[in-house]
Amino acid sequence: MKVVTGVVGNDIHVVANRLIELSLNARGYEVFNLGVNTYLEEFFDAVVETGAEVLLISSLNGEAEGWSREVKLLKAKYKHLDNLIMMIGGNLVVGSANAEDIIPKYKNYGFDIVCHQVDLNTGLDLLESFIKDREVKDRDTKESNE
Amino acid sequence: MSQSLVKNNKLLIDVGSTYFKLSSVDKLEQHFRDFNKGILDDLMHKCGNTIDAFNKEDIHICSSANGGLTTLIVGITNTFSLKYATNIAFNSGINIIDTVLYQNIEEYSIPSDLIDVVIIVGGINSNGDIFSAQLFNYLAQLRYSNIVFVGNELDVPVVEKNIENVAVLPNIIDNRLHIVEDYLREYLTNLYQKDIEGKEDIKHLYDITSNQIFPTPYVVNKTLPLIDAKFSVVNPFILLDIGGATTDIHYSKDLVDDNIVTENEYDRLVFKKLGVYKSKQSLIFTAKSNEFVYELLMHLKVTENIFEEQSEKATKILMQLAIFLVLCKISHYKKTYINLKLLSINSIVLTGGITKVLTKEEIESIISFFYKKILNSEHNPVTVLDSNYDIWTLGAEGEELCQ
Ligand code: B12
Repeated sequence: MKVVTGVVGNDIHVVANRLIELSLNARGYEVFNLGVNTYLEEFFDAVVETGAEVLLISSLNGEAEGWSREVKLLKAKYKHLDNLIMMIGGNLVVGSANAEDIIPKYKNYGFDIVCHQVDLNTGLDLLESFIKDREVKDRDTKESNE
Repeated sequence: MSQSLVKNNKLLIDVGSTYFKLSSVDKLEQHFRDFNKGILDDLMHKCGNTIDAFNKEDIHICSSANGGLTTLIVGITNTFSLKYATNIAFNSGINIIDTVLYQNIEEYSIPSDLIDVVIIVGGINSNGDIFSAQLFNYLAQLRYSNIVFVGNELDVPVVEKNIENVAVLPNIIDNRLHIVEDYLREYLTNLYQKDIEGKEDIKHLYDITSNQIFPTPYVVNKTLPLIDAKFSVVNPFILLDIGGATTDIHYSKDLVDDNIVTENEYDRLVFKKLGVYKSKQSLIFTAKSNEFVYELLMHLKVTENIFEEQSEKATKILMQLAIFLVLCKISHYKKTYINLKLLSINSIVLTGGITKVLTKEEIESIISFFYKKILNSEHNPVTVLDSNYDIWTLGAEGEELCQ
């Protein structure tokens, strides 16, 4: 499965980004790492060029929310991204806040999986179960259509 | 002077849309072209003595006189396919008339001009099933002479089946989303070559040279790394070649934040309808629609009536306007396919006819007006005038060394 990843905006925190690439590779994903300092359009464009199924954005320096507000509007300009799995993680707010507030907000911005200050492996486990759930769902809808 | 750079017994000739230049060990000549004559006739009439003194193998010619090839690019994203193909086309000396984002292809109007080459690109090799009927329908309405596919491998069979005479080259996007330039660049420069051979007027130039005739911008771009051998140019710099028909900008890679990783240190950008002779009307049109131009005219102490005049003064003003407009065009984010970090520029090099018409002071006055008005900055890059055409001399020399 193909995953596009990178750190959004003007964010230059690179350590997590490297670890994410390594962990994804270790779990058997084909990774397209756009690195730090990546703008939203570049993420979506990379998904289009690679045919990736997952977009995993990370944000460490506090820019996450500003960019996330733009996600729906920009994504709507693309015609073939409806099935893309969207995931975001890192430090998703400036200062502190709790997950109960953050997660619904980011889901509303258009993300399927939201990991505020969640350890990477836990996050990637969430991704795996999300993918499995979706496969089951897809199979069910297919069967009920038949 | 350029003399020291020209190898003994070589004559370098640059044929432009408006005039031609000759450079040899002992002299530099420049002549306005006479459009009632063929290029070779005109050249022999004005510089026959000089040319006769050289052997065919010692004459090197570059030309932008055939106007260059035009291309239309169909790609699937702005950041990768369209940007990469645009970059390669510009650096091969090709003019881009349009780029089409494939997902919206049905919304584009069909250009009526005959296009020299259509480039189709999109997808890494493992991502297929991208191109289909929408593309073929669009192409069926388009008039073009050549078409090349440089996209994903998986779509090659369907593309070959549905597009007659399509050339297929390796993908310009590799599996890490990096650019692969060489194959497409070679294909485009060869097309340019064929175009010259097919153009009666230019073809005759092969009567006086036994060397390949290259596009001028290609020659300049390939050899910019040598520029500091000649001038005290501080990197990063931009080079403006404001000609009769088009304006070319060559710029150091450091001036763009970009994900294109190429081997070139310099890229090129072209504004097709911005020149002071052949495209004078469109220059004036662009000027009139720029909100700062009236202030600029005031700064230059003239009124817009100057546009109607045919005088040396009017030409000077047009050239100053051209500098200003070009800087404006590369300063606004995303207006063109690239935006340059103009506040980081250390030198601005000007070449072409402009260096014969404007003084250093006149150019500097425009540049500092631009920085103050548009960028609100006191930044003042060093201006370097290539009055002896050292740049294309160096370029032609470099090209020859490459062979
Ligand atoms: C090193 C560092 C820097 C270095 C970065 C060097 C570099 N090129 O990488 C420098 C000094 C340059 C720097 C600059 C800044 N930093 Co700093 N920096 C740090 C620091 C100390 C460590 C970051 C690090 O590498 N951690 C190690 C990695 C492995 O951990 P991680 O980044 O947290 O990533 C883990 C998880 O978050 C998770 N993860 C990350 N992404 C994702 C994505 C998904 C999907 C999932 C599931 C998980 C996940 O996985 C990783 C492994 O478990 C942190 C504080 C801290 N202790 O975390 C601050 C910190 C990130 N920085 C911060 C700030 C504010 C800045 C600056 C704005 C400071 C300033 N005012 O100039 C600038 C911003 C620069 C920029 N343009 O981005 C804040 C961010 C606060 C916020 N978000 O509210 C932090 C948290 C410090 C703080 N407590 O205030 N910083």
